[in-house]
Amino acid sequence: MVNKKPTWFKGIFPALVTPFSADDQVDEETYRELIRFVLPHVNGVVPCGTTGEFSSMTLDEKMQAISICLDEVAGKVPVLAGTGCQSTRETLELTGWAQRAGVAGALVVAPYFLKPSFNEVFDHYEQIDKIGLPMVLYNIPQCSGTHYKWWTAEGMGLALDNVIGLKDSSGDMPFFTAALEKLRGTIGLFVGHDEVVGAALLAGADGAILASANLIPDIWQEIYQAACEQDTEFVRSRQKEIQILTRLVVRKGGPQAVKEGLRMMGMVTMSDSRLPFMQGGEFEREDYEDLRTQLENLGRMPRRRAILGTQEVELAMPADLPFNHQDLTMCVGEGFAGPPFSEVAHIDLLLGRKEGPVGRALERAENEPRPGHELVIINKHPLTMLVPTVTVRGEKARQLVYEEAASGLNLALEHAIAQRNLPEEILEEICLIANVFVHPAASIRQRVKMNNYKAMRAAIRKAIETRPSLQELIAEKDAARHPFRYSP
Amino acid sequence: MNGKLWRPGGVNPALVTPFGKDQAIDEHAFRDLIRHVIDHVDGLVPCGTTGEFNYLAPEENKRLVQIAVEESAGKPVIAGTGAAGTKLAMDLTTNAQEAGATACLIVCPYFLHPSDKGIYQHYYTIARSHPDMPIILYNIPQVVDAYLPRRVVEDLADIPNIVALKDSSGNLTYTMEILEYAGDRINVLIGHDEVVVNALAGGASGMILASAQVYPEIWQIVLDAVTRGDLETARRNQRQVQKLSRIFCRYGGGVAVKQALRMIGIDAGQPRSPLKSVGGALLHEDRAEIQLELGKLGKIDSPAVEFITPSGPLESRFVDIGLNPEVIQFEKMRTGSGAVGTGTDVVQVDLLFGSKCGPAGEAWAYQITYPRHGFEALTVILEPNLTVRPSALIIPTNALKDLRQANMIYGPVQNAVAKALVGKLAEGVVPQEFASSDVVFVLTSVHPHALNRRVLHHNTYEAANVAIDVAFTEVEANG
Repeated sequence: MVNKKPTWFKGIFPALVTPFSADDQVDEETYRELIRFVLPHVNGVVPCGTTGEFSSMTLDEKMQAISICLDEVAGKVPVLAGTGCQSTRETLELTGWAQRAGVAGALVVAPYFLKPSFNEVFDHYEQIDKIGLPMVLYNIPQCSGTHYKWWTAEGMGLALDNVIGLKDSSGDMPFFTAALEKLRGTIGLFVGHDEVVGAALLAGADGAILASANLIPDIWQEIYQAACEQDTEFVRSRQKEIQILTRLVVRKGGPQAVKEGLRMMGMVTMSDSRLPFMQGGEFEREDYEDLRTQLENLGRMPRRRAILGTQEVELAMPADLPFNHQDLTMCVGEGFAGPPFSEVAHIDLLLGRKEGPVGRALERAENEPRPGHELVIINKHPLTMLVPTVTVRGEKARQLVYEEAASGLNLALEHAIAQRNLPEEILEEICLIANVFVHPAASIRQRVKMNNYKAMRAAIRKAIETRPSLQELIAEKDAARHPFRYSP
Repeated sequence: MNGKLWRPGGVNPALVTPFGKDQAIDEHAFRDLIRHVIDHVDGLVPCGTTGEFNYLAPEENKRLVQIAVEESAGKPVIAGTGAAGTKLAMDLTTNAQEAGATACLIVCPYFLHPSDKGIYQHYYTIARSHPDMPIILYNIPQVVDAYLPRRVVEDLADIPNIVALKDSSGNLTYTMEILEYAGDRINVLIGHDEVVVNALAGGASGMILASAQVYPEIWQIVLDAVTRGDLETARRNQRQVQKLSRIFCRYGGGVAVKQALRMIGIDAGQPRSPLKSVGGALLHEDRAEIQLELGKLGKIDSPAVEFITPSGPLESRFVDIGLNPEVIQFEKMRTGSGAVGTGTDVVQVDLLFGSKCGPAGEAWAYQITYPRHGFEALTVILEPNLTVRPSALIIPTNALKDLRQANMIYGPVQNAVAKALVGKLAEGVVPQEFASSDVVFVLTSVHPHALNRRVLHHNTYEAANVAIDVAFTEVEANG
């Protein structure tokens, strides 16, 4: 079989997000900043991919974004432009334009929404192929609604002269393995599902086009290099460290997750996704907290000095968060984490000085019996009391609240101190009261523990940082949807 | 078609199988159940999906069919005799025939996903070896994970003793397709409790329903009305059992039916493990919802409840949380009250704003450590992870007796109070500095039988708005 794979088609390609300006145009300056951020670590870039919200952009905007990208990259790495549209006519127009603009290749998604049959899909690609630009087939059934069959991919990979690769974002390993079986060595095979990159690379993939490579291009490059050297152990352990982050990005909002992550890390002018995607939507607020926890645990959260009570301390904090002081009289923070439904954690946290309402409430509570709600001190430094929200009935509930949830809380305290959400310097003067909800029907112990870990990490940060802010609340007033407002 | 056997129709309950605490079949309870429904139904269906047929041993299946025949007072007994494999289903069908069943209901073979050919052969083999036994095909993709293919049904309809198809999918495009292609040769029975009127109007001959052992008489009215062409009556009757039917279909099946039967006085026992009586597929909240719906239907007396809305001087209503009128006046705390709605939809909101550095702050922190059973305080949130500022606590004035009641607060009330509070901050009625200086207590009085979440949300929102307005105008006037 002929090898149609160009030497440039390998390694890590971030699927660049597209920043938008306040007046909803492509934000050139931030886009260039993003490209400069990823460029040292990557083998190529993909403007106007799914993560780039190509499906929410006009033809002109896509051309503009691709032009900016070509200019900023200036030939240092190949630019693989997303040019797939719903109709053949429009795909031809954009792909032809991209060829003249000088891209290295086109990433062409399967025609979506209306579901053409396989022969219609084949004919679609055959027409694009005639343009003569190197083309990468793009399988993303989660969005397009159509799944390539292996024989469709094989057929196009063999028959169409300019098809130089396939990007598979399905995460469907049997499909990808069939593609490797039929096409490896003929065209380049890229994985596009961030959760299975290590497995795909070790199975023989040539590279990866990834949403999360906007955030952690260096880590993906390490993994790619290790895979090239067949260092299986490194690939496994490094991917494991970022697995939660990749899962959040892939499953919980894609572009919006990446954009919020970039803002936290310092790219403060990065916009949100275009509507109908929004803050607290598909990328839920608990996901934001989770992503923040991941970035903190990876050491990627910027730090800054701020006043807590009477001390100036260093805190890990998103670059875009306006915050400079907190009086520590009584700080209230809430954390909510799931799934599954029965194992959700919901924490109302009070954090405040021992010499204040929180300290006095804790002292008073220690001296009063609370039948069915035994209150326990779960940590001495910082002094932390666990209060079960609902009456604890039976041994199983007792274990879930006082062992699993409590150990999740303590793990969160330990990490919050280590990652400088809760600075060591104030631990002596404050205490915490965590009102902890464990559902009476909960069963899965590990989820109770981990959901309480996540909820507590969030609650601590939110208490210290006075989040959500009033501005945020006012902005969210009408859009907020309480999940339990709906009836059976 | 000549030579067709008896054909099913009318109202047929898919009977639950009562199990005792030892997980053995409670035959006595099963007989009680049949005696309870027999006068209102046209036939009985033991060992269906609702009857947990897949957890029954062959001899148990046969025994249940025997009992149903004994108690049937001459009415037809349609025995569930389906299984994942053909041999097992054959044996069950033979057993049912010996036990005196009128017909057999055979589910599409499941788990290993046979081909169309395999499915055809499954039914063909059973039907041919029991030529005198009317066979009912059974489509229930929710649990089989596959539809009984229309083309297979079309072919099977030619077999003389295949007399009907029960369609539990609820997918009316499928039902209509079967009626179109096989309706000349077999009857179609609707098996999805939520779309009975629709299916009957489309041409179905009757029904096999889980809910037909709870309210068979309503389904008789519906069937009769559709037959007479009185769709208005049919719709009205279906509408009044719509929520219960939905709960039975989607939130627990036989488990939910057993709970309903227990409430109306029939001991339907427990489900077999791994199903749980409650707290699994059937949530505690939904069980409580079943109770209220049965009350509305007149199937049970609605439990008497005490409902008190705080009255007397507003400043005296916060004593339980440690703030007496003297303190409230001395500290110049702002209070307000509003009540909106009537009957079980009435909502009263009494609220108080106070400095977090003073007695209000102390009381607020204390409440967090003191979840009184039934009166647990909840923070006010727009949605999870959107906590309102100033920090606000909802405290129910009437004890919350179950999770359903708690979920009326945790959800509609919480969100409505949050929207009102944030709205008033946005309007400037509540000065924005209060967001960091104060804490808020919100006493909410919600009727224990409140059922309509939308109305509850609306009334709470209105009452909270009034209360906030009062809190921030009266003080100005006095000052």
